[in-house]
Amino acid sequence: MTVFLDVLLGGVFHAAILFLVAAGLQLVFGVQKIVNLACGSFYALGAYFGITAVGFAAQLGLPSILVLPVLILAGLAIGLVGLPVERVLRTIYNRDESYQLLITFGFLLMFQDVFRFFWGATPRTLDNAYLVYGTAEFLGVQVPTYNLLVIAASIAIALGLGLFLQRTRMGRIIRATAENRNMTEAMGVDSNRIFAAVFTVGCMLGTVGGALVVPASASSLDMAVELVVEAFAVVVIGGLGSMRGALAGALIVGLIRAAAIMVLPEAEILSIYVVVIAVLILRPAGLFGRAVA
Amino acid sequence: MAALLAAHGVSKSYGAFQALRDVSLSISDGEFISIVGPNGAGKSTLVHVLTGLLKPTAGHVHFHGANIAGIGPVELARRGMARGFQLVNIFPALTVRETLAVAAASRLKRIANPFRSLTRDREVRADVEEVADIFNLRHRLDQPASALSQGEKKLLDVASAFALKPQLILIDEPTSGVSTGDKHSIMELLVTAARKAGVRGIIQVEHDMDLVARYSDRIIALQGGAVLANEPPATFFRDPALIAAVVGTRPPSVPHKSAAEARPC
Amino acid sequence: MRIETSVRAVASPAAPPLSRPKGLWALLVIVVAMAALPLIASTYTLTLMVPFFGFAIALLGFNLLFGYTGLLSFGHAMFLGVGAYATAVLTSKLGVRSFELVLLTAIAVSALIALPVGYLCVRYTRIFFGMLTLAFGMLFHSILFKFYGLTGGDQGMRVVRPLLFGMDSAGGKTAFLTGPFYYYALGLLAVLGFVMWRIVRSPFGLHLQAIRENAQKASYLGVQVSRTRLAAFVISAIYGAVGGAILAVSIGLADPEMVYWTQSGNLVFMAVLGGSGSFVGPVIGGLAFVLLHDSVMAATQYWRFVMGAILVLLVIFFPRGIAGIAGDVVARFRKGS
Repeated sequence: MTVFLDVLLGGVFHAAILFLVAAGLQLVFGVQKIVNLACGSFYALGAYFGITAVGFAAQLGLPSILVLPVLILAGLAIGLVGLPVERVLRTIYNRDESYQLLITFGFLLMFQDVFRFFWGATPRTLDNAYLVYGTAEFLGVQVPTYNLLVIAASIAIALGLGLFLQRTRMGRIIRATAENRNMTEAMGVDSNRIFAAVFTVGCMLGTVGGALVVPASASSLDMAVELVVEAFAVVVIGGLGSMRGALAGALIVGLIRAAAIMVLPEAEILSIYVVVIAVLILRPAGLFGRAVA
Repeated sequence: MAALLAAHGVSKSYGAFQALRDVSLSISDGEFISIVGPNGAGKSTLVHVLTGLLKPTAGHVHFHGANIAGIGPVELARRGMARGFQLVNIFPALTVRETLAVAAASRLKRIANPFRSLTRDREVRADVEEVADIFNLRHRLDQPASALSQGEKKLLDVASAFALKPQLILIDEPTSGVSTGDKHSIMELLVTAARKAGVRGIIQVEHDMDLVARYSDRIIALQGGAVLANEPPATFFRDPALIAAVVGTRPPSVPHKSAAEARPC
Repeated sequence: MRIETSVRAVASPAAPPLSRPKGLWALLVIVVAMAALPLIASTYTLTLMVPFFGFAIALLGFNLLFGYTGLLSFGHAMFLGVGAYATAVLTSKLGVRSFELVLLTAIAVSALIALPVGYLCVRYTRIFFGMLTLAFGMLFHSILFKFYGLTGGDQGMRVVRPLLFGMDSAGGKTAFLTGPFYYYALGLLAVLGFVMWRIVRSPFGLHLQAIRENAQKASYLGVQVSRTRLAAFVISAIYGAVGGAILAVSIGLADPEMVYWTQSGNLVFMAVLGGSGSFVGPVIGGLAFVLLHDSVMAATQYWRFVMGAILVLLVIFFPRGIAGIAGDVVARFRKGS
C-alpha cells in the first residue's frame, strides 16, 4: 500500500510539472495553431534560471524558506523571453505547418547552446533545496512537503487559467480568436497583441514548470529535448488544443511513468509511447480533442 | 432500355431528421437530368447517395444493375461514374496536363508499376490531349492549374472528371462561382464534351433555372426530401406553383420568364 | 528585393515540376562531381562525403513523402536506425560481412516495419501524421536504448567493415572509407537516385502529387489515397534504411542517437535547406548540411546555436531552399538575357 502511494505521489508530482508545460503547448496551439517544439527549451530555461535566481536570493540573504516564491517569480520573469520569440514566429503564421514546426525546431537548437553558454555542460542542481520545507506524512508515506506544494501550485495555476479563459473579457477574446481569427479581427481585436500575450503566457507556463522542478531534480542540457517528447505525449493523449486534455494527459503520462519505473524500469519511456500510439490509433483526436477533419 | 442509374425507394435519415423520403428516379442512356429544389431540400444528400458515398437508410441505388451503396470514390470511378464538385476542386500546383493525366492514369491502370514512364505513355498522352481539346485547354496544357482563370479552373475541374471516360457524370452546380457570361459557354462545352467523349448520361444539381430549362431532358424537383416532380422541361415550366416551390426561399434573381422563353430550343 | 519574392511564392512545400528533366541533370552533375572529388579533395573532405551519400539516399526517400506526397514525417530517423542496426547485427553478431546481403536485409526489415507502421500512420495527415511518426520513432529509440543486451543500449553496436562484392580491402579504415566504400556508396546514390527519378515521374508519382494537392479530388479521379500513401511510406523507409546502412559503416557504429527525434528534425532541416520542392533539392540540402555542420563545428563549440539560427532564417526568408534560390537566379538570368 505504501509503495503504491509512493508511486502515486511521485507520478502526480511529475504530472503537475508536465501539465504546466503541456498547458503552454495547448494554449499556443489552440490560438496560433503552432505546435511549439521549443516548449522544451522554455522548460529548461526556467530550470536553469531558477537555479541562478535561488543562488542570487541566497546571496541577498533571503531566507531559504522563500525558495518556492523565488522560483515562481524567476519562472514568470524569464518567461518574458516569449515576447521576442513570438515576434519572430509572427513572420510565418500564414505558412504551412511544416515550416512552423521547423522554425520552433530551430529555436530548440539555439536554446541548447544558450544553456551551454550561460550554465555550462555539466548538470546543475539546487542541492536538495526542497528539504527546507521538511517532509509531510501523507497516509503513512513520507513525502517532501515541497512536492505537495508544487502539486498545489499547479492545481492553482490550472484553476486560475481556467477561470481566466472562461470568465474574463480577455479570456473570452482569446477563445474567440482561437475559434475564428478573422471574426475577432473584424470586431476590432488586434490579434497581433493577443498572439503575443498568449505566446508569452504559454512560455511562462513552461518556464515556471521548469523552475519548479529544479529543487527535485537537476537541470541538464538534455532536459529540453527529453521533455518535448513527453509533452507531446501528453497533448496527443489528451487531445491537441484542449486544456482538460492537458490535465488528463499529464496525469496519465505521469502515473504510467511512475508505475513503469516501479514495475519494469526498462519500459519507462516505452510504456508512454505505447499508450500514445494506442490513443492515436483508437481515438486520433485524443481523449478531449475534437474530431480530426 | 435498362436504366444507367436507378434509385428505388431511397430514404436517408440522420437521427430524427429525414433528409430523403422514398426517392425513386432513374436515368437512361443519353439523358441530361437536372435536380432542382430549394436549399435544404435534400439535393446534396441525394447526390451523396447516388454516388455511393452515403448508404441509404432504406431503398437502394443501382448503377449498371449493381448496388453501389457505400462503394467509395475510387470504386465509383472504376465503374464509370465521375463526379464534379460545386466549388472549384483542382490540384493547384499541377499543370493541366498532369491533372488530366491523374485521371487517365487511374483509368488505364498505370499505378501498379512505380517505375513506369508517364511521359512516354502514348495512351495517357492521347487521352489527355483529347480531353484538353474538347475543353479548349490545349494551349494551357503546361500551365499550373493555379495560373488559370476562374472559368478555366472550373473547366479543368470538369475536364478531369471527363478524363476518366465515364458512362455517367454527376455534377454539383457545374457553373457555380462562374460569371453569368461564362455559364452558358461552360454548359455548351459540357454537353458537347459529353457527346464527344461518349458520356451516356449527365446529372446536374443546378439553381439557375435558365440553364436548367435550356439543357435538361428531364427535371427532378425535390422538396423536403421527397420528389415533387419528375418531368421534362416542357411540362415543368408550365406549372407556376411548381416553379415557385422550387425557387423557394431563393430570391427570384432568375426570372422564370426568361427561362420559359429559353425553353423552346 | 529577391528575398521577398521567394517568401511570398510559397505557402506550402512547393511542387516539384514533373515535365522538365532538370532534376536528373542536376543529380548527374552532383554524382560526376563527387566521382571526380577524390582527385582534388583532402582525405578529410572525402570522409565527410560518405555520410553525405547516406543522408542523400535517405533524403531522396524522405522527400517522396514530404515534397511529393505532402506528409511530414518527424520520425524518419527510425529507418536510418533500422539500416544501421541491421548492418551492426549482421556484421558484428552474425558474421555476415557481405554488404550486398546487409543491404538486402536492411531493405527487407525496413519494409516489414514500414508496412504496419505506415498502415497506421497514413490514415492521418498534417500534424497528426507528424506526431504519430514521431511517437513510433521514439518507441523504436526507447527499445534500442533500454534493451541493453539486445542492442548495446547507449553504447551502441560496433559495425565490422563489410565486404564489397565479396571482396575485402587492404589498408586502414580511412583508406576503406575514402577508397572502395566511397565509390560504392556513390554508386548506390546514383542508382537509387535514378530509380527515385523514375518513381516520381511515373503515374504512381503523379498520383502522390495529386494526393498532396487535394486528396478528396484525387480519390474521385480514381486515386487510391491510403494505398498509394502507404506505398510511398514503404519506399521512403527502404531508402532510409539503405542510407542508414551507409552511415553506420562510415561511423563504424550503430547507436541510438541516430534514431532520436532530433535526428529526424535534422532530416527535415536538410530537406528544407536544399529545397523540398525540387527533386534534387534534398540531396543538395544534405551536402550543404554536412559541410555547414562541419565548418560551424570547427569554428565554434556553439554550433547548435548557429545551425538553429540558420534554420530560423531559412524558414523565414528562403522557404524553397537552395534549389529555390538557384531556380530564381536562373529564371532572372533568362529574363535578363
